[in-house]
This record gives sequence, structure tokens and C-alpha cells, in this order.
Amino acid sequence: MRQKGICLLLAAIFLLLSACAPAQQEGQKTQPENGRVAALRLAGGTDWGAPNPYLHAARGPGNAKKDLIFASLLEMDEQGPVGWMAKSWQQDGNVYTFTLREDAKFHDGEPLTAEDVAFTVEYYRKFPPVSNPLGAGDSFLIERCEAVGEHTVRMTVRQADADTLMALGGFEILPEHIWRDVDDPMSYSEADAFIGSGAYQFSAYNGADGSYEFIAFDDFCAGEPAAEKIQFVPVGDELLAFQNGEIDIASMPGDLYGQYSNDPEIGMIAKENDMGYKLLINFEKYPEFLDIQLRQALYAALDRQAVVDKVFRGLGTVGSAGYAPAGSIYYNPACVQYPYDPQAAKAAFAGMGLEVTLLAANSGDDVKIAELLKLDLEAAGIGVEVQAYDSAVRDGMVNAGEYGFALVGNGGWGGRAPAYLRTVFSDIAKNQGGGPHNMGPIGYSSPAITELAEAQQQETDFQKRVELFKQLQRQISEEIPLVVVATQTSYSIYRKAHYDGWMKTCDYQQAEQNRLSYMNRGEAS
Amino acid sequence: MTKGAKWACAAFLLAALVCLGGVLFYPHPAQIPSGDSLEPPSVSHWLGTDDLGIDIFAQICAGFFSSMGIGLAAGGLAFLLGGALGIAAGCGGKAADTALSFVMEVLLTAPQLPVMILVGAFLGQSMWNIVWVVALFSWAPVAKIIRAKTVSLQQSGYLRLAKSCGAGPWALFCSHMARELMPLLCVNSLAVIGKAVLQEASLAYLGLSDPLAKSWGMMIQKCVSFRGIYFTEYWKWWLLPPVGMLLLTVLYVRLFARELEKIWVRGENRYV
Repeated sequence: MRQKGICLLLAAIFLLLSACAPAQQEGQKTQPENGRVAALRLAGGTDWGAPNPYLHAARGPGNAKKDLIFASLLEMDEQGPVGWMAKSWQQDGNVYTFTLREDAKFHDGEPLTAEDVAFTVEYYRKFPPVSNPLGAGDSFLIERCEAVGEHTVRMTVRQADADTLMALGGFEILPEHIWRDVDDPMSYSEADAFIGSGAYQFSAYNGADGSYEFIAFDDFCAGEPAAEKIQFVPVGDELLAFQNGEIDIASMPGDLYGQYSNDPEIGMIAKENDMGYKLLINFEKYPEFLDIQLRQALYAALDRQAVVDKVFRGLGTVGSAGYAPAGSIYYNPACVQYPYDPQAAKAAFAGMGLEVTLLAANSGDDVKIAELLKLDLEAAGIGVEVQAYDSAVRDGMVNAGEYGFALVGNGGWGGRAPAYLRTVFSDIAKNQGGGPHNMGPIGYSSPAITELAEAQQQETDFQKRVELFKQLQRQISEEIPLVVVATQTSYSIYRKAHYDGWMKTCDYQQAEQNRLSYMNRGEAS
Repeated sequence: MTKGAKWACAAFLLAALVCLGGVLFYPHPAQIPSGDSLEPPSVSHWLGTDDLGIDIFAQICAGFFSSMGIGLAAGGLAFLLGGALGIAAGCGGKAADTALSFVMEVLLTAPQLPVMILVGAFLGQSMWNIVWVVALFSWAPVAKIIRAKTVSLQQSGYLRLAKSCGAGPWALFCSHMARELMPLLCVNSLAVIGKAVLQEASLAYLGLSDPLAKSWGMMIQKCVSFRGIYFTEYWKWWLLPPVGMLLLTVLYVRLFARELEKIWVRGENRYV
């Protein structure tokens, strides 16, 4: 009897294990006739909001999911802007004219016309979306937008500058027939709120377990989707899931670089110095730090190389005090350097009895970096209380100015044109919009930085703009309105045999967050 | 004392002594990096270092006292609250009994971990909040047992005799009830210690403790969230020590409580 019980138990365990086995084996390529892979699976598990322009989280992964469903006029590839819903465009002074693709359609079969684009502009003027290249209120970029034909739309801006084209081409087009009746987009989540004109259609979203599913849109006009399905599946351990074939791309831990870089079956895509961490000072709470010498002492107190070595596992660099990281063509190596000098820091803070709070996210590397910063600051004589919250709460608190010191990390630092220097540092542009590229120092004002940051924006000559960016970084490194801790280089690994279309745009290195990574691009990929 | 109780007690004391020695005499601190990142165990760092270069043995020793501190604090609160409210429910008349029993039933039936997560998240991350949250849920089972014993004692002949002879409530408690209730209270509060240590680790693991605290739960949490940990060797010296210590400590406390229960409550070994 007992033996029978054991046999039954073993049989049950065997059945359970076979049920848990990965559905698809490593390296197996499922290639339907249309050239698409059956599914691209990525690690989910985090709720990045519902994928539409008003409901997604104000971070890269949230934005990217919305981008799969909704399409903009232009897209960026390895070289520069390319047509997306627009097939061509031209600029004449402050007037931009876009010609749409005739076969552009929304997922419900309705044609996408110039009227939809004009409607979207007016709708965004009224209700700014989460990711908002057009600005809001008085600084709304577009003065007038009109449909001059079924497929031609003309936009007049107040003042054209270096980034205007991509701002005009970068907003997601809403279907007028759905949104014209919606008065409160922030709470509108009916099924048709997820109808766009992107390469993939919305299929499923579950915020509780952070899972998403998108299916290819067969009538997409600007190319061929590379997969029948894109799934973000919740996984316990990303790397284990990758090894088991449950997901097709994973971020690689720094300690395993040697192992994976020698594996011919594994493809690797680098994001050089793309994830950056900055330490924000709220000068309204700690006006002492308006004294430049204390800010210099702050830099001297921090062993930033330890962050690179211990937390980033050696993959990254100590942040440039000019903010834009090494590797960017705009990077200025002549920025002021602030080496680690604990003795000098201790002398500078001696007898001040400073006590600060340090706001950080309670996940990922943030807590570890916060711990190292706290130890360094305490060694220099500053008392530190670390307050750690969920990253969305931390972002909210930073945007509301509810912090003393705040540690903020985000991707996108390695983008080619560091337009974020303006949105982080310019007195006119900083702290508007909720994204991390907008989080700048509160209570600190600098006419010199603001002037340079605004001037680069107006400059359309590439070489002159590079020069202005370099001057701006030099100025930032002299004034140091915030502390740049370190920038991290990370790698994603994928199985080449299954899918190797992952790409970086000339402006954005996060391959998993680029639309073109999910397109069948033939030779281009 | 039984042989089992002696063994459990000795092993627990040994662990406590080693950790005390570690805190007092071990050269490396538990808060500050003292070596390179993820050094394997060596003569200098007995159990190696974690990713920030902080000595693991020092953290284990410091973690013993923070975990046991939380356990003892929760156990102490369960002892005081559970004892006082259990006796109050048993002797305090019908209204008090109904009200207190209702609260106990609510706390006993409510799913503990989700409510603890909610309360912990609401109060914010700190060790003290974990003590409060754990204690809040720990006193009810103790109080329920004490209440039942108090009620049954009240029915006993000798207590009724003492009452009829004019003994006041305090005299009744000290001379007749305390010796019956105390062992029960001690054993059940002791059991709370082990449970509290585990609950603290669970809450810390879920990110509700002070993120920089050096408790075993936080050590486990940091280790398993290290990306690719199972593809490296680091887990051997980073994960196994806190998990082992957590299991052993809870086991010792539990064994000790069980042996005490045998001796005091069930009276099985009263004449051994």
C-alpha cells in the first residue's frame, strides 16, 4: 500500500515537472511562411501601465509598449529620421508638411487620414499625454495644424529648432472616430482606447502580474512585423527564464560577461553608458549647498568608482560632471574632474553637523548605490537617513519636490544628442513633465547654463550644436548643480538562431524598447 | 529538564555566544565594506564578503541580535498583551469577554501576511514597524489560550473555595491562578519568538524592512536579487549562511518551547 502511494507521488511529481517544462526548446526556430517568428517573449513582471498614450508609466518600458500599438509620423533608425505613418516630409521655415501613407489604417480597419493627425494635435493641446514631445500650455510647440488634403497635414510652429522635426514626428496618432467623444482620457480604458495604427495590436494586459501580449497587425503600412506575437511574461529570475527558453532576450549580469561573450549561439547588444544615476539636491531644503565649495566637497566625499566596481560589476564609468557620458559624440572630455578625496571632504564638512535625507528607489541597484553613498557621506561627517520607496512613488516625490537628496537612475543617457541637458538643467525647461530626463535641481538657478542649453536647442548646424553642447557640459561641470554618480554599460543577450533583429537607433540604445527591433527589416537588420 | 531541551538550549546558547563573540571581537564591521566585492571565505573573512564588500560573518552575527531582538520584542509584547487581555477576557465579565474574544477571532481569522504587508507598507520601512506588526498578530493566539484556561480555572473547586473564604482578585491570581497560567503563557510566547523571526525575514524579503538593515531576511533578499546569482558561486557563501542560521535558530527556539511545554504544561516529565 505504502509503495503504491510512493509510486503515485512520483508519477504526480513527474507530471508536474513535465507540465513546467519550457514549451519551446532552446534554439528552435519557428518560422511561418510570412517570415515572422511565432513569438518574441520578453521578461515582464512589472506593471508599466496600460499601453495607451494616457495610461502608460512615464518610463521607457511603459512608453515602448504604447509605441507598439500606436504609431507616429516619423521613426528613428540607425542613421536618422525615417518615415513611419508619413511617407515624406518637408520643412519651409516654421512650416512642416507631412504626406501620409495612403494605405495607413487603424487596427479597427478605419483609414488613418490627415484629419486624425490634426485632431490628435488639438486633443494633445487640450489633454497632454504621458510622453509628450509637443509641450503643454503656453509652450505648446504647434501654433497651427491643418489637414490640407486627405493625406497631407501642415503644421506651423512658433520657432523651429534642432529638435522640432522629431517632436512633430514623434507624437502618437489617435483615431479621431474613437477619441472625439472622450472627455477624460486619463480614466478612459475601454477596449477601443487601445486601437492605434502601429505594427502590433493590443491583445492582453494584466497589471497585477505585469504581463502584456501584442499580436501582429497584418495591414500595417510601414513595414512587416517580425513576430506573430510579442509577449511580456512574468518570470521569477530573468536569466533562468532565458536559459530555460521561456524568454528570448534577457539582460545579462555583469559577472557572466566572459561566459556569454564566448558563446557563438548568443548574440549580445550593448547599451554603452546608457543607464545613469544622479544625486539631486533640493536646494530649497538645504540652501547650504548653494555654496559651490560644499558641492565640490560632496563630489570629493563619494567613491564613485566603488559604485562602478561593486554595483555595476565593473561595467560602466564614473559619471562625467558634465552629465553627458563618455561614448557620446557630444561628450566633452575637458569637463572638470572631481576625484575621490575623503580627507578633503571631511575637512570641508567638519563641524557643520549636517543631517540629510536621501530618497531612493527600493529596488534594483538603487538601494545598493544609496547604501554606498550613505557610507561615504557619513564618513565625511554628514548624517544620512535613507528613505526607500517603490520607484513610481520615488518619481512622484521627486517631481513634487518632496526630498532632500534624491538618487535617480534611468536609461537613455547614451542617446546621441543629449537634448536632456536642456530639460535637466535649463531654468526654463527643467522639472516640466514627469520623466527622469526632466528631473533637475530644485532651488538652483544658473543664467549661464540656461543660455547655453537654450542656444543649442535653436542651433540647427550640427557642428555648432556639438560645440555648444560641449560648452554646456563644461559649464555644468564647473557649477555642478547636481552630482553625477556613475553610468552603467549593460548588455542584452539573445539567441541568434531564434531572432536577431534587435537594433539600436542613432538616438536610443535600449533595443527592447525600439519599435524597429520588432520589424522585419531584411538587409537592414 | 529533558535531554532534548538541554540539547536545544545548549545549541542555541552556542549560536548566541558565537554571534556575541563575532559582534565583540571579530575585526570587521557589519555595516561598512571591509574587503573586495564578493570575496570567497578566507582566513580574513570567515564567510567571505557580499557584493558591496561587507563581511558576511559580521552581518550574520549582527543579524542574530536584530532577528532575536525582533523575536524577543514580539514575544514580550505577545506575553504582556496576550496574558493581560486573555486574563481580562476570562475574568472580566461577559461584556469584556465578548469584546475581547471578538477582536481575537478577527485577528485569528484575518489572513496574516497580506495584512502585515499592507500595514508594513503603510507605516513605512523600519525595524520597529516590523516589531509592531508582528506583535499585533502574535498576541491573539496566546490570549485565546490564556482566556480558555482562565475560564476553566474559575470553575475549579479550589478557586471557588478560596473565593468563598474571602480572597480578593489579586490574592486569587497570585496564589492560585499564576502558577497555572504562567507556564502556558511562557511556552506560547516563546513560540511567538520563532514565528516572529520568520515573519521578520518574510517582510524584509518583501522589502518592508529598513532597506539598509543587516537582518537575515534582508541578506537573503539582497542575495537572491543579485542578478545571475545561481550562475555564479557567490550564493554558497552569501545565501547559505543566513538561510542556515534562520532555520537553525527557529528550530532551536521551537524545540526549546516544545520541551518546556512537555515539562510545565503537560506535566509528562514532572517526576523525571
